[in-house]
Amino acid sequence: MNLIERVVAISRRRSPWICRLNAGSCNGCDIEITPLLSPRYDAEQLGIELHGTPKHADIVLISGTLTLRSRQAILDIYDQVPSPKAVVALGSCPLSGNVFAGSPLVLGQSLDSLVPVDVWVPGCPPRPQAILDGIARAASLLEEGATRSQMESLLEGGQGRPS
Amino acid sequence: MAMLKTILGNLLRPSRTRAPADMPDVPPAYRGALAHEAARCTACGTCAYVCAPKAISFTQDPGLSVSWRFFIGQCSFCGLCAQNCPTQAIRLEAGVPAGMNSAAGDGFRLESVIPLRACTRCGAAHVPLPASTMDALWGSDEAERGYCPECRRWAAGARLRVAFVPAAGEEVRHER
Repeated sequence: MNLIERVVAISRRRSPWICRLNAGSCNGCDIEITPLLSPRYDAEQLGIELHGTPKHADIVLISGTLTLRSRQAILDIYDQVPSPKAVVALGSCPLSGNVFAGSPLVLGQSLDSLVPVDVWVPGCPPRPQAILDGIARAASLLEEGATRSQMESLLEGGQGRPS
Repeated sequence: MAMLKTILGNLLRPSRTRAPADMPDVPPAYRGALAHEAARCTACGTCAYVCAPKAISFTQDPGLSVSWRFFIGQCSFCGLCAQNCPTQAIRLEAGVPAGMNSAAGDGFRLESVIPLRACTRCGAAHVPLPASTMDALWGSDEAERGYCPECRRWAAGARLRVAFVPAAGEEVRHER
């Protein structure tokens, strides 16, 4: 890793842009993201900025139960995120479906089987500081080139570490 | 002049936004991470029964132990398990469960092993009752402390027999 790559990696950690994706959540987790961006919890002191489009994002926050209808949307949106990317799963639902598990409209699998998840933030809903902690972990994983999508591209013999 | 004062104040005061480590406290009744105390657990299964998303389960190692298992990824932190636990073996602590890297392995599951004990009378393996429950239910009869549920029932029956039959040791025939 040369000097410029190092600077780029550090600046990626210092300002991770996030994109929020509701995969069928009850809105509990999404409501907790709102105070996270407000001055009380102040995500922007870590350089975190919420963006509407996945094409500008480094980190995708996925909240909620995976439903049959949202499955393809998750895959599409994940593919639209440019390559050094991290996924943070919010709450219990992406992991197991929580209380919705067993419904015929809910996928009976964890988010891990659709996209490589880097950080799980437990809670129902998680507190804003736990979400902030999760995003900070994901950002430091991005800097080290240790997110699962980066590791997979490294294994496939692709570009390797992020440029 | 007012602007200068504001600028100077902003330079001298600490920033009003909080540092990431300086977070607002959780309320005292906050339902955070689950904690299980094996010494108080009687493995009655009430927590697994009331858990709506089925995050709690019990597994048995016959004759040796009973394990209380908890999967945080399925918990909705409703607190019903702690509320319904008859011996207060489950607590929801105020601490916030931290984020988990998926590379760090299986940090989602808690397991708490309750070792079985042999009955002092018949030798059957059973889950020992916590001392406070023993005091409340069975008085302070030291001999019955190590009994299994079957033997405690037998001991209670024996006490009843002694209480109702005046001549001790004499066999009574019930005729209806």
